[in-house]
This record gives sequence, C-alpha cells and structure tokens, in this order.
Amino acid sequence: MADLAASIKELTKTYKLQSEEVRALRGVTFDVPQGDYVAIMGPSGSGKSTLLNLLGCLDRPTSGSFFLGEDDVAKMDDDGLSTIRATRIGFVFQSYNLIPQLTVEENIEVPLYYQGRLDPSARQRCRELASMVGLGERLGHRPTQLSGGQQQRVAIARSLVNDPYFILADEATGNLDSVTTDEILQLFERLNNEGRTIIMVTHEDEVSAHAKRVIRLRDGLIQTDIQNTDRVTNLKKEAMAKIQDPAKPQMERKV
Amino acid sequence: MFGLRTWILGVKSLLLHPMRSLLTVLGIFIGVASVIWLLAIGEGIGKKAKEQIEGLGADNIIVRSRKPPDEGAGGFSAPKLFGLTRAECDTIESTIETIGSVLRIRELPYKFSYAGNPDVKPIDGRLVGCTEGYAEVTRLEMSGVGRFLKDDIDVNVNVCVLAGELSAYLFPFEDPIGKQIYLPESQDYFRVIGVLKPKNATAAIGGSLDAQDFSRDVYIHIKTMEQRFGDTVIKRGSGSFSAQEFQLSQATLRVKDVRDVPRTANVIKATLFSKEGEPRQDISVIVPYELLEQAATTKFMFMVFMGLIAAISLLVGGIGIMNIMLATVTERTREIGIRRAIGAKRKDIIQQFLIETIALSVVGGATGILGGLLCPAAVDATRFVMEQFAPKILDSLPEIVRETDAVIVPLSIPLAFCISVMVGVIFGIYPAMRAAQMDPIEALRHE
Ligand SMILES: Nc1ncnc2c1ncn2[C@@H]1O[C@H](COP(=O)(O)OP(=O)(O)OP(=O)(O)O)[C@@H](O)[C@H]1O
Ligand SMILES: [Mg+2]
Repeated sequence: MADLAASIKELTKTYKLQSEEVRALRGVTFDVPQGDYVAIMGPSGSGKSTLLNLLGCLDRPTSGSFFLGEDDVAKMDDDGLSTIRATRIGFVFQSYNLIPQLTVEENIEVPLYYQGRLDPSARQRCRELASMVGLGERLGHRPTQLSGGQQQRVAIARSLVNDPYFILADEATGNLDSVTTDEILQLFERLNNEGRTIIMVTHEDEVSAHAKRVIRLRDGLIQTDIQNTDRVTNLKKEAMAKIQDPAKPQMERKV
Repeated sequence: MFGLRTWILGVKSLLLHPMRSLLTVLGIFIGVASVIWLLAIGEGIGKKAKEQIEGLGADNIIVRSRKPPDEGAGGFSAPKLFGLTRAECDTIESTIETIGSVLRIRELPYKFSYAGNPDVKPIDGRLVGCTEGYAEVTRLEMSGVGRFLKDDIDVNVNVCVLAGELSAYLFPFEDPIGKQIYLPESQDYFRVIGVLKPKNATAAIGGSLDAQDFSRDVYIHIKTMEQRFGDTVIKRGSGSFSAQEFQLSQATLRVKDVRDVPRTANVIKATLFSKEGEPRQDISVIVPYELLEQAATTKFMFMVFMGLIAAISLLVGGIGIMNIMLATVTERTREIGIRRAIGAKRKDIIQQFLIETIALSVVGGATGILGGLLCPAAVDATRFVMEQFAPKILDSLPEIVRETDAVIVPLSIPLAFCISVMVGVIFGIYPAMRAAQMDPIEALRHE
C-alpha cells in the first residue's frame, strides 16, 4: 500500500435534497499509485466534481472508504480533513481561486501559513516554486495584474508548496485558451515526470490525451478505466514539430 | 496563532474598503469617546458638588432656626419664640462630649449707611451676630489690617467688621477703619474695626440650606447684639408691621472626630426634637457629612446613568461592526472557500474575521481615547466661546453647569479600551462563526 497515493473502495455519495436523493456516486473503486497521471472524464452530472471533492477531502463520502496512505479519510472530522488538505493535497481549480488581496508570493505561502510552517527556508521554497512556474519576476504582483494562465500557474505553485500526495485539478484548463492550456499541460507533465501524482477532471479529449490513465464516469459509476497507450507527451510533440512544417508552430501546439 | 501576519492580513483586507472601515471605526470612536466624556463630566459635576459641601465643613453639624408657617390669621398677636434657643445650645455644648466647639450665630436683616457721607443711600444687608470662630468656619479672610471679632473685645462697645463688597459700597474713597457706620432703623452706630476680603456666595445644597450671600454682611459680636437688639425683631414696612422672636439663627457645631459625626447628629436630633423623634418645624439639622455621602450616591447614580448612555452608543457602534462584518463575510465567501480548501481550519477562519473586528474596534477605541482626552479642553473652549459671544445664555445657566470642569477619570481610559476590544469580540464572533461554518464546496462555488 505504501506506493499508493490514494485508494478508494465502494465510494458512494448521496446528496439529500428536500424531496429526493441525488446519488452522485454509486460505488466507485480504484487505486491511484504514486506517480500516476489520471484524467477523469464523463458527461456533465456524472459525478466527476463530486469524486474530486471527496479525493480532495473537501467532503465526506456517504459510504465506502478512502485511504490516503494509512489514514481512512472517511472517518475524519472537520479539523482532521483541514489538516489533510493543508499537508497532503494540492488543489488547482478551474477559476484559479487565488486570494485577491494577497500578492503572488503570499498566495503561494498560504497553505504553509495554516500549518504554522512559514519559516525563512519555507519562504525561500515558495519563491523557488514561483520561479519554477515562470513567475519569479512577479512575486509582488496581485492576481488581478496577471493573465489567466499566469494565475493558474500561481495556483499550481501553491498546490505544490506542501509537497502533496497528489495534485487535484478540476477543469484546470477550462478557462484557458489552447496555447495557455498547452503551457499548463506541459507544466503538469514536467511535475509528473518529477514524480508528482496528478488527478485531473476534464471534458476535453485533447487534455485527457496527456494523461497516463483515463477514468470515465457515467451516472456515478466507473464506465471505463484504461491506460492511455497513445499518450501525447512533450517529447512526441517536439518530434512531430520536426516532421511537420516548422513555419506553422501554432498548428501543432493545438495537438 | 494570533500572529503578526494574521493582523497584517486583517488590516490589508480592511483597507480594501477604506471608506467602509472608516465609518465602522467612527461608530466605535463615538462610543468610546462618549464613555470618557460622560464619565469626565459626571466626575466634574460630582467633584464640584463635593467641594461645595466640603465648604460647609464635613466635621460640622449645622442647626438652623427657621420661621414656622404663620398660624394666626393675621392680627397683631404677640410674637412667639421660635427656633434654637441659647439654653438649648448650651445644653448641647455641655452634654455632648464629641462636640469640640459651638459657634452661635444670629442674623438680622438691616439697612446700613455711612454717617459721614450722606450721598450713600442706605443699603439692605445682614447684621450677623457671631464670635471669632465664624470667620474660620465660613472661611472668611481679613483684608489688610484689622482682625475679626477677637474674643477679647469689649462687648459693650459697638464695633463691627464689614464684608468687602459692602465696605466698597459704603466707603468708596475712604479707609473704613475707625469710621462709624449707621443703622437707620435702630439708630445705632458701629465703629469699623476690620474689613473682609470679598467672598463668593456658597450655593444651596440639596435644598436644605439657603445659598449664603456674604457680600452685604456686617459682623458684630453676638453678645453685643443680644444687649443692643434683644430677641424680638420688629419690621416696619409701608403700612405693615411684623414681629419675630428668636434667639439664634444658627449654631455650627464642630465635631472633634469626623467619624463621630453621624452619631453626634443623632444625639443632637434626640436632644432637640420631641421624644417621638418628630422633627421640629422651626429647626433644621443639616449634616454636611451626610450630604457628602448623599452626593456620593447621587454621583454614583449619575455616573451609572452616563455610563448607560455611553454603553448604548457603544452598542450602536458594535452593531455597526457586526453589520459590516456580515456583509464582508458574504462578500468574501469565495475567499473563505479557498482558504478552507487549502488547509484553513474553522478556528483559523474565526480568528481571521475576529482579528478584523478587533482591529476595527481597537482603532476606534484608541482614537476614541484621544478624542476623550480632549474633553476638558473642549469644555473650556465651549465656555470661552460662550463667554465671548453669548454671555447672557451662560449667565442664565445654573452655576453647576457654568463652573464645572470635566475631570478625566483615569480608570475610564483602560476601561474604554477594554470595552472596545470586547465590543470587537462580541460583535465579531457571530459573523466569524458564520464564516467558519460555511461548507467549503459551497463557498468555492459562490460567485
Ligand atoms: N451539493 C449538492 N447538492 C445536491 N446535489 C448535488 C450537489 N453537488 C452535486 N450534486 C449533484 O450530483 C451530481 C453530480 O454532480 P457533479 O458536480 O459531480 O457533476 P460533474 O460530473 O462535475 O458535472 P460537470 O461536468 O457539469 O461539472 C449532479 O446530478 C448534481 O446535480
Ligand atoms: Mg464538475
């Protein structure tokens, strides 16, 4: 179990409304090994976000178990979940979700702050992360002064700051144009190559094509769970770029 | 973990809406400043009242005669003796051990003029029969040479001491010492042996003692008065005639130890009043010591009342804070969701919003204290402006309003500060809890 980032069994989630119950997840089982790169797909309302919220410890399942390392998250209280989120999970959201009144640097530091680990070396690391995502020069800027792609890169840097078990990305590229999407996906791939586990929800086949594994949900159940043999990687793209017309790089970037 | 960073963050968030924060702070500013102001004014009034009563002497007991309401339906019935008698006074002096000295006073309304200057019209004044101790008890001071009615003066010789103001009226150009003043009603002459410094009137206290105006007094020895004027006073007005008989207007009894005052007062009342303890119509016993205690109670009530008003304004300020914070929490729902998602516990969120309310109220409190400290200066300035531009209005105000100075109660400063912090906590806790109770997923979805 040691090499599993997460392990879920028979996970269900039922939302109770006044008149009816919505069974958003109806028994989902899968393991995520460390270093995996998973894309979760499926039609709207199939339970993708619900699943991601459970994986992100933002919510508790109605039944089933969810192990993060040795801990059964399904049994934790609110403070316990907060601690897990602060220490082991990195979130990247569709709408970036940076805190507007904080600078780039401060935004990256927030998770450490809530763990009380914000010492000088940690701050140094935050700056390094900012440089890694290409924003080393923009540390003092506020989110409103950045483009969408830049904001998303700040969010990625923030998600990495606590050295998480995995990064959860819900439609992380949904608001971005194709060029920027590509940049973000390259960043993900680099992180994955460095050993990070990434789980992302997406609608787009172009995006999921980058993942090592694609899980398709339908009506709260796993429809398919397949390894992506025909994976698009940066290396491949570079190779393709050489074959095709080098004068039209825009075309290739759309994959 | 109320770290510096949390505070900086709180202040930053507040500065995102400077106008809003400013107005909220203003609410607390007014509340805290009014706490200090109202307490300072209350304290000033209390102090003034205390000074006035202390002017009577806390170790004194004053027994005063007063004319009982007329019983006979007009007519010329023989005057009936009323008030404190010399015999009663002697009994009190000789039997009550706690009494140190007794000062006997008799006051008669008279007209005075100066025989040597016919231009000076006779003026209404008060002929006061007393002894040397009177000057000390009523805090009269001699001006220049001359001495008050020394015990060794010959009571068979008509000598007097003049109040400063009266002396200035009768002798505008001359040195009064050695001159004779004339009492046209009884055709008596008195030689002036001394003049007093002018003295302000003492105020009436709790309605039980008339305001004393010393400015038109002529002091003579009480023995002289007894011999010259007797106990019956006949007043001839235009076509009317009245007679009163009384021996003493007042006896001021000095108690040796101030702690014995209440006990002594009871014994005096028991001696003077009937066995049933019913107060006599023609005598009132005034105990400044008791008045002091009463004044302290009154002051306390006053302060509580003032405090209440201040508390209400603080309450309003607090509600202002709460209102703003509830709006802020709603506005920042998404931020709360983000923070929760990336690891903030409920208590972190509570702390964050609580710090903002505390910061608001502490700034309000600190500026409010500064504003409060301006109170005495503001009172002085107001009085000055009134003196310059509306002296009539100022004069028409009661003395206690005219002359009271605001006295900052030192305790009110830490008190006001603590209250403002408390207001921040109390009115901040609900919005903060609301923020913390939000479901992170819902909060993240919030637009
Ligand atoms: N808080 C909630 N209360 C009630 N029902 C909910 C709640 N959240 C989600 N659902 C329901 O659960 C089901 C799954 O929703 P979910 O958001 O997981 O879908 P999704 O796959 O992410 O869809 P999309 O692609 O549109 O984002 C839907 O039918 C939705 O209406
Ligand atoms: Mg969704």
